[in-house]
Amino acid sequence: MLLNHIPDPIQLLDYIDDGEHARHYRFRLLSQNNNHDWRNVQAGQFFMLNVASVGEAPFTFTEPPNEHGEFRVFIRQMGKVTSTLFLMKAGDILGARGPFGRGWPLEKIKNSNTIIVAGGCGLAPLVNLIDRLISPSEDQHNNQQLALIYGARNRRSQMLNPERNRWKNNISIFNTLDESSDQDYPSSTIQGSPLNILAQAIATFDSPPKTALLCGPELMMNCIAEYFVDYGLPPESIFLSMERRMHCAVGLCGHCYLGNKYVCKDGPTFSWQELQQLTQC
Amino acid sequence: MKSYLINDLSPLQQHLSEHYQFHQPVKNSNEQCYWQQITKGTTKPLSDERPLSSAKRFFFTEHENLLIFNGEFFRETLPSPEPFVLFGVQSCDLSAISYQDKFFSEDPYYQARRKQCLLVGIDCIEPCENGFCPTVDAGPGVRSHTADLILHPLPNKHWLVIEKTEEGVQSLRGLTLETTQEHHLRQRDQALHRCKQLFADDSYITHGIENINSGKIPGSFWKKLAIQCVGCSGCTTLCPTCSCYGTRSTETEQEPGRKNNIQQRFWDSCLYEGFQREASFHNPSAEAGTRVQRFWQHKFGDNFYAEFEHYGCVGCGRCEQTCPGVIGVHSVMKRIENAAESYS
Repeated sequence: MLLNHIPDPIQLLDYIDDGEHARHYRFRLLSQNNNHDWRNVQAGQFFMLNVASVGEAPFTFTEPPNEHGEFRVFIRQMGKVTSTLFLMKAGDILGARGPFGRGWPLEKIKNSNTIIVAGGCGLAPLVNLIDRLISPSEDQHNNQQLALIYGARNRRSQMLNPERNRWKNNISIFNTLDESSDQDYPSSTIQGSPLNILAQAIATFDSPPKTALLCGPELMMNCIAEYFVDYGLPPESIFLSMERRMHCAVGLCGHCYLGNKYVCKDGPTFSWQELQQLTQC
Repeated sequence: MKSYLINDLSPLQQHLSEHYQFHQPVKNSNEQCYWQQITKGTTKPLSDERPLSSAKRFFFTEHENLLIFNGEFFRETLPSPEPFVLFGVQSCDLSAISYQDKFFSEDPYYQARRKQCLLVGIDCIEPCENGFCPTVDAGPGVRSHTADLILHPLPNKHWLVIEKTEEGVQSLRGLTLETTQEHHLRQRDQALHRCKQLFADDSYITHGIENINSGKIPGSFWKKLAIQCVGCSGCTTLCPTCSCYGTRSTETEQEPGRKNNIQQRFWDSCLYEGFQREASFHNPSAEAGTRVQRFWQHKFGDNFYAEFEHYGCVGCGRCEQTCPGVIGVHSVMKRIENAAESYS
């Protein structure tokens, strides 16, 4: 079976600003007859957004395509692709290829107490997962508890504010700010990094968390994964969503290598156990 | 499948060029050997030297268009080459094609070219400079599964032509050929055995492979080695198995006033500093030592061997020949061997 490198056309519907140089975009697949199968997108999978005049870059879905082909994506302005996108307006046509990669292990997560740690826009790949876990349509017979620690540099750079507001009645949320001169923030926010609040977050669980999900700066994830190993979580129950530069998203261009694997194809979600083996390669 | 004896390559070259666009290694006026297209109806002597560049560009081209966007739709720009023959591909380069056939098995651009190609391999009966194909099971005789036809030079300017695939059989239809005798094939075995014995001792390569896979080589070794990497991409360009690529978009005006965007891919190199650099400037392989280590791990790692049933090195020695920093395969493997005592 040959791969299809051709994007499906999508239309920019609208966007809202959220955080520093970051926006929630809404797109719509323009055709019913697509090159790619957009049904059954896993939470944590990604797609390649094609801005034809500059190129492609990988983004995760905060809401996967619905029956009308509409989907949402959280995008931070960073390089050439996103800077061009930020100049585009409703009605403009772009392209999308995907979904790609291995998302979060939903089956393993949904029956266990789970602690989630995200930094900066690293919360974006977790949005759809958290929405699914707290959705009334999900199997709620278990008494799963969730806690989210969200770290940001300062208040201005905190992102995904509507999502965190929406979740606050369903999960325990702790916010950390690396730098803050502002003492007037809620009790759930502390100054420091997510590492500083891990013990407090774990203490809120009735029974200890069995799974940890991490997404954010690599150094932050590595430190937190080591903390959880020391705490007693098995390395195969700690999951990290890795970020790498990608050109093809199908394991061919080589840019996203990690040991002998490719983050686009074998990830972006890896267990800490897998990552330890890969970094020894 | 049969084998034939011929005393002149020209009729075979003429015959194949009637049915295929014809390419073969040829020596130019500077005595350098290159792949060259031969005009239909003419023949040139087949060079027995290793071409400066491998045959990988015939399938995985240096740059090519992937798709075109007209403002509304994206359209694939698949190549549609006429049938072509690569006449006289040496065993190392054939092993590399076989390796890339696996790597690009699902890539439509690679496969569109590959399926149009007839591969005529040639046995090497003398070792070449810097070559060590026997050590990595890639020569000197053409591996059976890697070619459609095999040429073997016999003494007195005779050649064996050995059929290996149905495509190879079909390509010879219309030629009147003399079937070989059993002793000719024995002669081939003896010549290849003799050739193998003539390769210089390269046990340091075998030891180097073991050391690379032992995980004992410290990062400091690679860091020191990488001082000599100037990031020129000579090794990755000439390496017949290297396959990293980048993509870029360009604008084209096919009709006046109507601009289209074309997405292209082009050969890239994992040894470039910016190869993994992200838009945020986070760069997991910012250190040259990390990049050099990964390059050699990719060539000789057992985990890649398990996936491709072959190392990512076919022993052609081109990296040694081209590296301006003198960290091609022989130099690196010797340094690993020399340093091994200190970290074993």
